[in-house]
Amino acid sequence: MDLLMTEEEVRFRNEVRTFLDAHLDEELKRAERLNPSFLADPAVGLKWQAKLNDKGWVAPSWPKQYGGTGWTLAERYIFDQECERAGEPHFRGASIKMIAPVIMRYGNEAQKSFYLPRILNGKDVWAQGYSEPGSGSDLASLKTRAVLEGDHYVVNGSKIWSTLAHHATRMFALVRTADTGKKQEGITFILIDLKSPGVTIRPIRSICGTHEFNQVFFDDVKVPVSDRIGDEGEGWDIAKYLLEFERGGAFAGGVLRAMLARLHRLASEQLPDGRKMIDDPLFMARFAEIATGVDANDMLELSAMSKVQAGGNPGSVPSSTMKIERSRIRQSIAELAASILGPDALRFEEHRPLHELPEEAEIDEERKVASAVYFNSRSQSIFGGSNEIQLEIIAKTLLR
Amino acid sequence: MDLNYSDEQLLLKESAERFLKDRYDFEKRNKIIASKTGFDAGFWSEMADLGWLALPFAEENGGLGGSAVEISLIMEAIGRALMVEPYLTSIILAGGLVEKLGSEEQKAEILGGLIDGTSRPALAHMERQTGFDLGNITATATKSADGYAISGEKPLVPGGPFADIFLVSAKLDGSVKLFVVPADAAGLTRTEVRLVDDSRASDLVLDNVSVPASALLDAAADTLFEIEAAYDRANAALASEAVGIMDALMDATVAYTKERVQFGKPLAAFQALQHRMAEMAVKCQEARGSALLATLSVDAPRAMRIRGVSGARAKIGKVSRSVAQEAIQLHGAMGFSEEMPIGAWFRRLYAIENTFGTTADHLKRYGEIIRDPAMLSGSLLREPV
Repeated sequence: MDLLMTEEEVRFRNEVRTFLDAHLDEELKRAERLNPSFLADPAVGLKWQAKLNDKGWVAPSWPKQYGGTGWTLAERYIFDQECERAGEPHFRGASIKMIAPVIMRYGNEAQKSFYLPRILNGKDVWAQGYSEPGSGSDLASLKTRAVLEGDHYVVNGSKIWSTLAHHATRMFALVRTADTGKKQEGITFILIDLKSPGVTIRPIRSICGTHEFNQVFFDDVKVPVSDRIGDEGEGWDIAKYLLEFERGGAFAGGVLRAMLARLHRLASEQLPDGRKMIDDPLFMARFAEIATGVDANDMLELSAMSKVQAGGNPGSVPSSTMKIERSRIRQSIAELAASILGPDALRFEEHRPLHELPEEAEIDEERKVASAVYFNSRSQSIFGGSNEIQLEIIAKTLLR
Repeated sequence: MDLNYSDEQLLLKESAERFLKDRYDFEKRNKIIASKTGFDAGFWSEMADLGWLALPFAEENGGLGGSAVEISLIMEAIGRALMVEPYLTSIILAGGLVEKLGSEEQKAEILGGLIDGTSRPALAHMERQTGFDLGNITATATKSADGYAISGEKPLVPGGPFADIFLVSAKLDGSVKLFVVPADAAGLTRTEVRLVDDSRASDLVLDNVSVPASALLDAAADTLFEIEAAYDRANAALASEAVGIMDALMDATVAYTKERVQFGKPLAAFQALQHRMAEMAVKCQEARGSALLATLSVDAPRAMRIRGVSGARAKIGKVSRSVAQEAIQLHGAMGFSEEMPIGAWFRRLYAIENTFGTTADHLKRYGEIIRDPAMLSGSLLREPV
């Protein structure tokens, strides 16, 4: 048992560092620093995605046969750590991490060969169509309906909280195709072209001042049967498979550590009265406590990875623990950063995206975005199965 | 990188848990703590027979060459069993220092008795003002014609009542040194103290205690550095002990709430209580992650070692306190009585929070290390040596 990289992994890490030094330019890094949201501004994200695509590194988690890297888990971990440390724009959302594994597992050959390459080269950007106005944590109660008419479904209803749907070309959606039996059994997984007639997108500005969420309405939207994934009624199983990727399948240690490092820089700046927050014992106590949480989460990630590498399963309690703790750590870092702004916390820049504004000193820009980052961080404990749902999962395992 | 336990390690974990469950249940422990000596000599020799007393020492010193990982597994089991015998202080702390600082003769003599169970050295280093500033001691050693004379006070020496020899630290010409002092040395007064976790310690007063020149443990260049490293090994072991206790509290709470019926259903059927237990499980997981980092850091370079060990003590101090408080609350009045082990686990965790540096001491020490941006932002993965 050890935490040692192999010589090969050190070489790999150095190769990644060299690539990031050369290709992740200041403009991209600045745009991401000024992005308060979970995912990058789409224009920025696509630019970075194209650079990674040239190198063949867009989809670290994909098998080689679909255009992925074929890396080991340890290499993926190292890649993630290095990208986060360098400050990469986060673009691997619904497309690469969510719908792609579903298409690989449940899609037919035609779906795989059409959709997967379009994800890699950025032709398609996907939005998630799970939640509805009446169905959040109780997802299986969803009501958006698809009725089979010949070789297509006619879809009516509405999906909500679809991140970046206004930039997306397609949506994967859970729809109701039957009302008989258990509510989970009447759910089907379909792919919807968002340019189809009958699709309307209503923007929802979030409390951080950014338009990232949307409500999407479907009014007699036609979806070819060939865009159904799996069988009718199989949607719930597919949804659960996908949620595994949204919850425990990814690493978060890198981004938490990167956020902590940014807070460290912010706290190391001299304040107008000459003090530095980093010399303040109250601040440092809070900061150090958060950092111990980041270390603990890293160890849980590495332990889970070791289990998977040995052919096992991390288990539901560690997975839900990580989901909960990652959200809390992100929130506490963002909260602590915002708490040291002083009266500057009252200033709020409304322009989005922030990186379009004239460039200022890095530290001033950190101060400019800190409040919005804090506001946005509240979503961390809600999406992907709220923390209360995670507690339910843990309790079920404990008390069974 | 691999964080899976080996088959041998899993076997050790299982046998340690089984041994303590069979031979050291709560009733037996209660008898031991109520006894005059507060120590079960027969049980100690059973541990010797199992090889536990030899575990951390190198094979050339008569040990089994076990790593911190094996020690952590034993410590988890010790935590659950609430063992009061001085395994940590005699084997890990004092034994570890003899192995680092002793000459070949000193090692052969002291470790020999330690491993076969006949000798139980205890470390007498910290003083009232020391806190976790380990260099801050005032006991002094002066050279005499045929050795040294040592004077000073060493309060709360863990395992003191069971010790036949003490490793006493004192300043010799301004630098910290360790001396082997027999427990019956003239000028040494030992007063037994009962501790909050039902274990026992000694207040030592040394008044011009004479020891021969051969009593000086001085094989390494920097005694204080080795003392600090030894406390870090002990603190990593304490972190694992705490994890064992937290799991035990978790298990007991789940079992109790499933059994206890109020308002016509088991307590475990109430969602308000389910979520509180789930939060306890989250904290147990976090503590496990922290303790593992501490375990895997004890032989790392100093800054990395402190990051792992003090980070774990800080994190575990906080989450273990919360888990213990919740366990009492969820047991209702039963958790408040001494009839169940809940209170004993609670008090042992409280003792751990105040042993070899407090939770706050460790948070501060960790904070000083992660002020270095390279330490803060670096991955936990390490380069091969």
